[in-house]
Amino acid sequence: MPQHIKRLIIAFSLFLALFLVLRQVLRPESFGELGHFRAKAIPENAMRPMHYTVTDSCTKCHGGIRSEKDKGFHKNLKCEVCHGPGLKHATYAGQFKNGALPDSLKLYKPGERKDCIICHQLNAARIKIQFDTINTTMIHQIDPVKHNPGDPDTKEAFKCIDCHSPHQP
Amino acid sequence: MKKEKTKLSRRDFFSAGTALAGGVAITSVLAGYDGLLFAAVTPNAKGIWYGIGIDINKCIGCGKCANACKLENNVPQAPFYFRSWVEQYTIKNDGSIVVESPNGGIDGFKQSVPDKDIFKSFFVPKMCNHCAKSPCTQVCPVGATFETEEGIVLVDEKYCIGCRYCVQACPYGCRYIHPDKGTVDKCTLCFHRLKKGLKPACFEICPTKARIFGDLNDPGSEINYFLKNHNCMVIKPNLNTGSKLFYNALNPEVR
Repeated sequence: MPQHIKRLIIAFSLFLALFLVLRQVLRPESFGELGHFRAKAIPENAMRPMHYTVTDSCTKCHGGIRSEKDKGFHKNLKCEVCHGPGLKHATYAGQFKNGALPDSLKLYKPGERKDCIICHQLNAARIKIQFDTINTTMIHQIDPVKHNPGDPDTKEAFKCIDCHSPHQP
Repeated sequence: MKKEKTKLSRRDFFSAGTALAGGVAITSVLAGYDGLLFAAVTPNAKGIWYGIGIDINKCIGCGKCANACKLENNVPQAPFYFRSWVEQYTIKNDGSIVVESPNGGIDGFKQSVPDKDIFKSFFVPKMCNHCAKSPCTQVCPVGATFETEEGIVLVDEKYCIGCRYCVQACPYGCRYIHPDKGTVDKCTLCFHRLKKGLKPACFEICPTKARIFGDLNDPGSEINYFLKNHNCMVIKPNLNTGSKLFYNALNPEVR
């Protein structure tokens, strides 16, 4: 075998040995077990904290409001749609007596006009399902400028919840 | 001019043949290291294979899904970071298209085009398509993003180097760089909720049930019922990304 080929073979085998050593040292644990990624990243992703719960955990204490809500137009809405993420509240609020709940556990109480018009503002994209006989929109929509604009003197708009109960609109 | 004939002795022929056969054998052994082949993996034939359905006819553009996603997954509240967001498409009578997404739809939509100019208007909720042949996982130089066996595209935050290559590769714009962590972040289909047997936050919260998800391999699942009963389409089918986010009543104008 010519001399230069021998040298090349030695050089390549050195490179290969170095590569294998480095690969062994630098490759993270569990890499390649399930594919070209760290298999442990899957349980790590599954361990992230939750913030939203399910409506059934609200019903344990607030069953009355739930049954009130289930009679009205909002029966398909989950509590957390309006009140925000409630896992923390559902887990810890039971320990406190009525009225002693710390602010960190209180849920958002929507009552302003902006909370309602987020769904109920008139919008061309919102008129969706037209039933066969009656021309009905899927949800009730209002023009917040014209719909009960409020006292002309104080320019203060009425709140939606002054007339409509949010749980049974 | 006389044609020169290559002379190949019997010995040379056999040695070349043996080398070739040896090369094939070594390559087939190395195929076990399927780093190069993983991009061609076919969809999971058994087990759970998640798919998503969104009914554009039912979406009222309340943006509650985008809000819920941010709160559930600690996405920064600044209006540039979204895992899930809503766009309003308005096709005017003159044929031009207006696409709006103020703060991803979280604060609600205000109709900017007067009624008389509108030919058609609809909301399109967008999120990660969890593609079966996702371009974003294929470009990752370190293997920090991958598809699980259930067909969910996840990110390995500890291993991501923040090179932004996948952000550019995603044809749906569903990835962003988390400003605090410096790594890429994207929809995980609320993997932490799925593993506890719960629905993802945006599906849980949607007030009109415009969002459906389920196991595509299960013939009785909600998503299969949805796919059978609607004319569903994915966004950018020409890219052959194997998208598993199916829209009902999707207009071809949606990009």
